[in-house]
Amino acid sequence: MTDADTLAGLKRLNNTYQMFHAFTADTDPGDAVFLFSAKDNLTSKDFETCCGSRILEGYRPVFDATAIANLRRAGGKLIGKTNMDEFGFGTFSTNSAFGVPKNPFDRERSCGGSSGGSACAAAILDGHVSLGVSTGGSVCCPASFCGVYGLVPTYGRVSRYGLIDYGNSLDKIGLLARDPAKLKQYLPVIAGKDPHDPTSACQPPLELKGAKIRSVAVPQEAVEGISTDVKNAFENGLETLRSLDVDVEYVDVPELRYAMPAYYILATSEASTNLARYCGMRYGRQDGDYTLGFDAYFSSFRTDYFGDEAKRRILLGTYTRMEGFRDRYYAKALQVRMDVIDAYKRIFAGHDAVLTPTMPFVSPKFADISQMSAVETYKTDFLTVPPNLAGTPHLNCPCGYNAAGLPVGMQFVTDHWQEDKLVTMAAEWNKIFNVRVPEVKA
Amino acid sequence: MKIGLEVHVQLPTKSKMFCPCPTTDAPAPNTHVCPTCLGMPGSRPVLNRQVLVYGIMLAKMLNCTIADTTWFSRKTYFYPDMSKSVQITQYDHPIGIKGVYYLNGRKPIRITRIHLEEDPGKTKRTADMSSLVDYNRSGIPLAEIVTEPDLATPAEAREFLTQLVTDIKHTIDLPESGERSIRCDCNISVGKERCEVKNVTGLKNAERALTYEMVRQVKVLKAGGKIDRETRAFDETRGVTYSVRKKEMESDYGYIDEPDLGIFHVGKFAENIKIKESPLNMTLRLAKQYSIDEAKAKQLVATSTDLAALFEELAQATDIPTALTWSTSTVTANWKAFAARQIPTAGIIDAVKKLHAGKITDTECTLELKSYMTGQSAAATQAASADLDTLIGKYLDEHPEILADCKKNVRAANRVIGYIMTQTGGSYSSAEVVASVNGAIRKRL
Repeated sequence: MTDADTLAGLKRLNNTYQMFHAFTADTDPGDAVFLFSAKDNLTSKDFETCCGSRILEGYRPVFDATAIANLRRAGGKLIGKTNMDEFGFGTFSTNSAFGVPKNPFDRERSCGGSSGGSACAAAILDGHVSLGVSTGGSVCCPASFCGVYGLVPTYGRVSRYGLIDYGNSLDKIGLLARDPAKLKQYLPVIAGKDPHDPTSACQPPLELKGAKIRSVAVPQEAVEGISTDVKNAFENGLETLRSLDVDVEYVDVPELRYAMPAYYILATSEASTNLARYCGMRYGRQDGDYTLGFDAYFSSFRTDYFGDEAKRRILLGTYTRMEGFRDRYYAKALQVRMDVIDAYKRIFAGHDAVLTPTMPFVSPKFADISQMSAVETYKTDFLTVPPNLAGTPHLNCPCGYNAAGLPVGMQFVTDHWQEDKLVTMAAEWNKIFNVRVPEVKA
Repeated sequence: MKIGLEVHVQLPTKSKMFCPCPTTDAPAPNTHVCPTCLGMPGSRPVLNRQVLVYGIMLAKMLNCTIADTTWFSRKTYFYPDMSKSVQITQYDHPIGIKGVYYLNGRKPIRITRIHLEEDPGKTKRTADMSSLVDYNRSGIPLAEIVTEPDLATPAEAREFLTQLVTDIKHTIDLPESGERSIRCDCNISVGKERCEVKNVTGLKNAERALTYEMVRQVKVLKAGGKIDRETRAFDETRGVTYSVRKKEMESDYGYIDEPDLGIFHVGKFAENIKIKESPLNMTLRLAKQYSIDEAKAKQLVATSTDLAALFEELAQATDIPTALTWSTSTVTANWKAFAARQIPTAGIIDAVKKLHAGKITDTECTLELKSYMTGQSAAATQAASADLDTLIGKYLDEHPEILADCKKNVRAANRVIGYIMTQTGGSYSSAEVVASVNGAIRKRL
């Protein structure tokens, strides 16, 4: 499919799959060297940027996110902003005010989240690359559910300038694509120091020299409590790796169990301060009753325009940093984070990577998702959260399909700054594993 | 009575604390703004390093322990002029803690901490009861200095603030004018519970607010009432404080670390930052080191710290009495003209050295100094000076009793000075007249 064909078919595809919140009306790619899409929490001058939230409806940023600007400079054409859970708060992209993306392999099922629209676009569009953002698993989860590669670089590798914050100490911009060559091609474009983001300033240079993963550690607890179809596909994946001369060893990493509660405390603490700025007047929606006192105005505005999950996380995060609770929750979670990083460092002293399934099950049906409680949903992130908390780079590789043809993914984690090993693994894996192209229904 | 202050000082950086917007007075509301200081989604703060430098300088001035590692925190509260609803400030690890600052060089005032933070914007209420917000001030760097409750009276608090402001201006070259002003929160208790008067602008208002509050609290207690811990505001026009909120209504700021800025290891960096000696410290040091009268030392420093430094050079080159005599007379008299010419001090030192070596006389030295410092030709200086000296000599001849009085009381010279000033009608500077009269009397005694 040519780029012109892709552009011509966007509207039709979006009607079926709802991967975009906003997309281009252009049918001619012009001088573009390639097409890309970006999650709707990355600012773009030419498209509304709403983070899946009604509170930002109508917001047109005055500047491009650095990652988007860099891809444009490399000849990329931004074709649309992809649907997502409101501010990244979700695992299934169902918490969006602007349509829920549908899984390319079964439209009754979720694309995963929160970068669901990006994974959907990467799965459906030929030769496509999409920018996603991961805070606690929001790239690998949808990549797994949609059967594409998803790469999350080390925290600080890619500038967060123009990334609308969820949890600033956790947010990382990543890439999703069906073809792993795209990861290798575009990672150097978006990586690098940016004077607009101090946390990007202390990175060593990115070198993609083909470093290999020769040994992987599989944490025991990662294979407990996962569904049979995921377990089978994952074990097949391990067999394949062994045939590639990769050592596989099971290890015990009890610290990883505490990663999830620590993550939710830190992520919501930061999120509740980040979301404090959304109170009307300045950008996005600016309506409401201006005759009210400012406190009353802010409250009514936020009550009207934040979704339920955003409200839940604001309440959680405000509680965990309150006077008298801060030490018990926020400060303790910071300590747990250090312990998780230490645990990873111990593993990396003897292994090149940590390997787990990405999600404990294949993509669930929307009907089943609607029955899940918030805590049940949070728990499903237990495999993707640890590397995100540690800031270590990680990769989703499609590793099999269940009987119904739904994709299963496995997740490699390497030490800080070692994206090279992940990119090489994706390329090698792709030579022997056949990534299925979903049958597109228009 | 106990008084503690939280003093906010705007730091004189060229650009704002976290963005490149200028800090100069803006031509119109909301013109010195960008995505960062407007708090637009996706924008990010980048620290202006000069803010750390100023913070370290002030921490040194206040004899604080300077943090080896410092970082910023987020203070969350909702107010229309706070663009992010989050203020970037310092909480756990401020730039300096546990300092001590000597009021008049004697009374120690303990400094709890000094931290760095950004200023919010400004809210302006209009006549029709609506509000307008101007974000030009949003992101201007501030240092907040917090004292222990070591001040005893409102007057002492004002004295403290006056000295602190003078020292701060000297230490970080704070400009006099513009919108930069000192704001402070004043904590005061006459009994057990304290009240905080928030956001008082200027030194005089701080004293007024504290005095009002002192009287109010005493009245309440005398009437058998109880002081409630609360936050109050000061109405400048009426000169009264009024309650804004009670203690239990205080907001919980929910401090967390600011993840966007990282951690700053400033230990080594701080070691290399030197600060100028404060005027007060210099006065005290000169008095002690050279065994001179504190009033004389103060006179030198008050004229200019450069003059005081010149005195030290002269004391090295000659001796202390010679250095003191000349630096407080002729050199002081011509200091303004000299400072304006921006020429080296070597010419002054040379003249005094020659005098000290007995190569020239007092009169010749005076002439040489005047000529060098003002740039007048030696002849013109001599003529003018001769005229003045003649006038003084004639008056002293006519009134021999003055000399006799001078032996008992140096103030007797004032009569001569007064006469000459009237006679010459401003053609000589008062400093020059004083120096010449004192010189003439000295010669005759």
